[in-house]
Amino acid sequence: MSSWIAITRQLRQTKVMFSRNICRSNICHSENVDTNSADKVGGFAKAYEKQSHILDVESTPPPTFASLLRNSKLVDLGDPVGKIVVGKIFHVVEDDLYIDFGWKFHCVCPRPSIRAEDYVRGARVRIQIKDLELSSRFLGSSTDLTLLEADCKLLSLVSSPVKSSEKTT
Amino acid sequence: MYPRILIRKLKPNASIFHRSNSTAAQPLEQSKTNEEIKSAKSPLDHPDFFQVHNLFTVKDLFGARVHFGHKEGSLNELMAPYLYGSRQGHLIFDLDITAEHLRKALNFTAHIAYRGGIICFFNRNSLNAHTVEKTALECGEYAHTRFWKGGIFTNANHQFGAITRLPDLCIFLNTQNNILNQHTAVRDSAKMLIPTVGIVDTNCNPNLITYPVPGNDDTPAAIELYCNLFKSAIKRGKEARMKFLQENEENT
Repeated sequence: MSSWIAITRQLRQTKVMFSRNICRSNICHSENVDTNSADKVGGFAKAYEKQSHILDVESTPPPTFASLLRNSKLVDLGDPVGKIVVGKIFHVVEDDLYIDFGWKFHCVCPRPSIRAEDYVRGARVRIQIKDLELSSRFLGSSTDLTLLEADCKLLSLVSSPVKSSEKTT
Repeated sequence: MYPRILIRKLKPNASIFHRSNSTAAQPLEQSKTNEEIKSAKSPLDHPDFFQVHNLFTVKDLFGARVHFGHKEGSLNELMAPYLYGSRQGHLIFDLDITAEHLRKALNFTAHIAYRGGIICFFNRNSLNAHTVEKTALECGEYAHTRFWKGGIFTNANHQFGAITRLPDLCIFLNTQNNILNQHTAVRDSAKMLIPTVGIVDTNCNPNLITYPVPGNDDTPAAIELYCNLFKSAIKRGKEARMKFLQENEENT
């Protein structure tokens, strides 16, 4: 029984090989025909063809929402808890830094003691996400209560306009 | 600046309205002259007279983070049809549905501006209040981003002391007053038969809003995009209106 199965398997494989070879030979034959006809066109004609279409903008169809979402950074993030992202400080209130990292909400972090004067509006910082939205269900309520803020930990400074101005002077 | 009240003169050969569902045996005859053919091509006959579909693409909405919603826990069940799904507990809007609703809203806004209507912007989110007020100023319309007193719409004549003209359209960039309550003006506009356009997030109730636009209402980038779109739609409507008035003046 097992030998019968082995024979049928071998037969199938040879059949596949045969069909592959046949296909390949067909393709080779057609390619030969194409190259023969293409060789007839001169070098200058080929170059002219290429150059006349070099500035043509290929009209690609507009990207679908599904493809945009699939290739977005949110999906690349995976599980956002614990991930490190780069954000930009857009507002400062004394010692609180409001950082926008491309999400729906911003996060608010306290100003660190090291290099405190470099954390200004426009500075790019590295933050670690703890929670993308501070919301939870309180006892007795039917819906969650949101703080409209993300919860992140400030790790380090990436770049600061203050430091770049120091370099120029 | 722009004359608000449009005085339409009655045309000498008024067309007899064709009673398509009348029970008369033979329909009434209509004599169509050139003037009637021109009047038939009014902006209301076109599905998109002001070409608002050119103002934005789905990619623009995506770039402005319009598809981000709140967490699943704060979802209002009525918003479920507008969602694409949920990503790690965070809801995502279907931007194809949003785009369709936004086009309808912009078209309506442009038509209201064309007819010289007063438009009022509302936003109680202090983060974006300045953007909304600036937008209203730039397009020559009005905004109310502060505390809303109870009877501004419903008791206007008494509160303002004189006969008050109410807005012809209310645009809500955020339909919430705070996290817990909806803006009173949504209900009051419905009471006073004022059509409303509103950006509804996953925690909002879209019921009383005439033209809801499901989308993000918390991010400044998204609010800026909406403001620019509404501003462009209003400007297009007003420009068409000025052109129409000038043509009328030339004819008379």
